[in-house]
Amino acid sequence: MELTNHIILLGSSVVFVSVLASVITARVGAPLLLVFLVMGMLFGEDGPGGIVFDDTQLAHLLGNLALAVILFDGGLATCYKDFRVGLRPALGLATLGVLMTTAITGLFAVWWLELSWLEGLLLGAIVGSTDAAAVFSLLRSNGIELKQRVGATLEIESGSNDPMAIFLTVALIELLRTNPDHIGLMLLTEFIRQMGLGTLFGLGGGFGLVWLVNRLKMSAGLYPLAIMAGGMCLFGITATLNGSGFLAIYLAGIVIGNRPLEARLEIKRFHDGLARLAQIGMFLMLGLLVTPSALLPVADDALLFALVLILVARPLAVWLCLWPFRFPWREQVFIGWVGLRGAVPIILALFPLLAGLNQAPMIFNIVFFVVLVSLLIQGWTVIGLARKLELEVPPSTHLVQRVELDIPGQQELELVGYRLAANAPIIADAAALRTRLPPGARLVAVLRSGQWLDQCGPVQMRAEDHVYLLADPSELSELDRLFVAVPEAEAERLSEQAFFGEFVLQGSSRLADLCAFYGVKADPTDAALTLDALMRRALNTHPVVGDRLQLGALELVVRAVEDDRITQVGLKLPREM
Amino acid sequence: MLGPDLINVVRVGCGLELASKKRLIETLAGLLARDHPRLQAETVFEHLLERERLGSTGLGHGVALPHSRMKDVTTAIGAFVQTVQGVDYDASDGEAVDLAFALLVPEEANDEHLRLLAHLASLFNDPSRRVRLREATSADEILQILTAH
Repeated sequence: MELTNHIILLGSSVVFVSVLASVITARVGAPLLLVFLVMGMLFGEDGPGGIVFDDTQLAHLLGNLALAVILFDGGLATCYKDFRVGLRPALGLATLGVLMTTAITGLFAVWWLELSWLEGLLLGAIVGSTDAAAVFSLLRSNGIELKQRVGATLEIESGSNDPMAIFLTVALIELLRTNPDHIGLMLLTEFIRQMGLGTLFGLGGGFGLVWLVNRLKMSAGLYPLAIMAGGMCLFGITATLNGSGFLAIYLAGIVIGNRPLEARLEIKRFHDGLARLAQIGMFLMLGLLVTPSALLPVADDALLFALVLILVARPLAVWLCLWPFRFPWREQVFIGWVGLRGAVPIILALFPLLAGLNQAPMIFNIVFFVVLVSLLIQGWTVIGLARKLELEVPPSTHLVQRVELDIPGQQELELVGYRLAANAPIIADAAALRTRLPPGARLVAVLRSGQWLDQCGPVQMRAEDHVYLLADPSELSELDRLFVAVPEAEAERLSEQAFFGEFVLQGSSRLADLCAFYGVKADPTDAALTLDALMRRALNTHPVVGDRLQLGALELVVRAVEDDRITQVGLKLPREM
Repeated sequence: MLGPDLINVVRVGCGLELASKKRLIETLAGLLARDHPRLQAETVFEHLLERERLGSTGLGHGVALPHSRMKDVTTAIGAFVQTVQGVDYDASDGEAVDLAFALLVPEEANDEHLRLLAHLASLFNDPSRRVRLREATSADEILQILTAH
């Protein structure tokens, strides 16, 4: 009884203190997960916390569980639309890319750390998977929206490369333990079985689960639990049959997240919170598990290994895998740099420990150090790099609060709330409320210093007012224009006009007409092309919002894309002298 | 920056009652051709309308900047209209347009004219200038706001 209470107290205070600490460190831009990892280390045996935790078996169980939850949530949040531009490059990165990083880092380990071939490759495989969740939580918390092609590729890659890295790790450990005759054959059949079963159960199970849950009548709070338990069952079944449970649960998440679903809001919110808890818990636990003093002896080697991974293996693999897709160089540089290593490598490093391999403790410590370095260097620089490489697009909304309303049989509606800043456009231009409010939007309430304002009279809004409206989701950007004051610097850098240019052209306009109106010269053979065709030819890949093409003194910027056709092109005039 | 050759009080319309985008452009074309020796309102209108087919020249925030090249003009000329009520202009932000500046540049246009266009666009980017333009009650006042730095 005493012990139980102590464990509860200890566990909750560790999480609580860590969350508080993360609020402070977020201000200096430190990656959240790094904070939790370090907090875990501080609470651990070498830190002031002094908690001794070295139960590898328990860590492995909790780690796998957390990973499954995180992948499931990642799948739920992935949108089919992102597949158009991100799927094929991401699949290349997740399979060939992981193989290449494994091979390059593995060979380096064999040479430098004087490991055996298989042990070296094992080390390479363990650090093979990336963690985009870390990147995206960082970007989102800073209000940055990436160009879709980059964002989608990174997100899908990080979800789908975990199964590959896990497969390689498990297979290599198996090889180290049993030394079979036909290594190649064994690897191949194992690969087919793992991925085949994972795909089969993931897709099939996902559809089945949606079908089942939509036919059950239960209280709203039970739907998320049903979905979670169902997903976990899929993971368990697949893994028990020696398939890739991680692939299965990720695919199931994608299917479930993109099908019409009962209580989908509750489900998404629940899993979002759960995944967050899983991440925090996992990093805290892994921080506790490691013995920081044991990291020092391997620090030199691990640092070198991390640098090879970050500076050589990952960029090279990205460059080769993306070569057929002709991503613009800026995007390749960014994707190459953002190969952030997160919790997965540390969890995979537990596998050899459990298997009792000789080099396992050293592998674990090196991997842990690599993750630390990666979070520190890459995690801390990712925002600056995104800005430097101009991969940001203007955010589609600056909403403060939004609640989706699930009105049965109704059009989609949201309740949105704004807290007005002193320079919000609506304050300067009170008449706009009558003339410029989008047709689908209704002002519901204005709250001033805790009091509801009488709405019958004309409302003159003031700074610090809270304004609530009912609106169609498609009209949110228009509402933003009325209620959100964009900070000066931000306005300069990413206002729509600065980003997309002054005018909007139809994608179907002819180049010849553009030349006629603006006096730019173009190849006469191109004159009959539409802007859509011209830009797609120049880009040579799926177009996304924010892609650019210079045309004499003018710059064309993709503004809207529908079904792979560019429908709107921004026209950017040369800057004034 | 906006000299008397480019815009003058004769080519400024204040507080006009216009019902549609077509009427707005027609009015601007009329102003542009008014005291010009060679320009015909009809042809100017057609040219401006032709440009709208490529995509709306609405800049957002209720401002439009229709423009075209014409061989009949030797130097860039502009006209400005403020309407009582906004007209639907297919602008990218969906806002009705109640301020419009039309610009004609010579056929042999160059980068300088593109920069002039960019300068005009940036002029209307200033929220306080837009408010003052909307509050203005005479053509003279509008001209002053337009030409002020």
